[in-house]
Amino acid sequence: MERENNYNEESLLFIENFSPKIKQCLHQTSYQEREDLEQEIKLKIIEKLATKEFINTPSFWDFFT
Amino acid sequence: MNNGNHKIEEFFCRNMEQIKNPIIKSFLANAKNLYLVEKAILYPTDCNMKMVDETFQSHYIKVQKIKYVSNLIYFYSLDFDKKRRRLHDRFLLIVDEGLTGTGIARNDERIEEGLLDMVEDEQLFQSLKNLTDKQLLILEMIYVKDCSIKAIAETLQTTPQNISNLHRKALKKLHQMLIKEED
Repeated sequence: MERENNYNEESLLFIENFSPKIKQCLHQTSYQEREDLEQEIKLKIIEKLATKEFINTPSFWDFFT
Repeated sequence: MNNGNHKIEEFFCRNMEQIKNPIIKSFLANAKNLYLVEKAILYPTDCNMKMVDETFQSHYIKVQKIKYVSNLIYFYSLDFDKKRRRLHDRFLLIVDEGLTGTGIARNDERIEEGLLDMVEDEQLFQSLKNLTDKQLLILEMIYVKDCSIKAIAETLQTTPQNISNLHRKALKKLHQMLIKEED
């Protein structure tokens, strides 16, 4: 449950911070479709942040050998 | 303390190249992270090293996520429009059957007829006659009998690519003939 809350908060933060970029990318499609696209993008961000695993993070000290 | 400063300086001098790495640079830009790193250099205990590593990894994941989301937004919007245009081009809103029940009845009759019997347009009829037998057969199977390219290829014992090519050529020929007649 807590994990889920974390995800939601994170997704919200991402959506908020990326809203200028989303707005800009809406110009890719015709204006009738923009609202749909905006919603789809936000949905996708939430979905991806919840499911995608970010692995293969190198150790800090690996850079300094 | 002086000795400590010296030690830190020396460490950074030694790793000038790595410091320039954007991910390291952005990590060290945060005063809290820098403090942790300095502490780990001065007192390289397991605990201190691990602290740095953990904060670095969360930083790294954050950067990865930002990059990922940024790309996601960009490419998703591209794909979205591509998909929309494809659907729009393929499925035009055309009423091709009567709005009343007669449309269905007419459909049933059609199955028995060949392509040439169905054409009402004189120009199109003449153009169709100019096609080869095989091309005509393929057009008939596609547009009258509603067969898939694959099924046609099987009945004619050839490859789907061949059918597709013949189909395209036939349409092109028809198009050219019709344009010529219009001129």
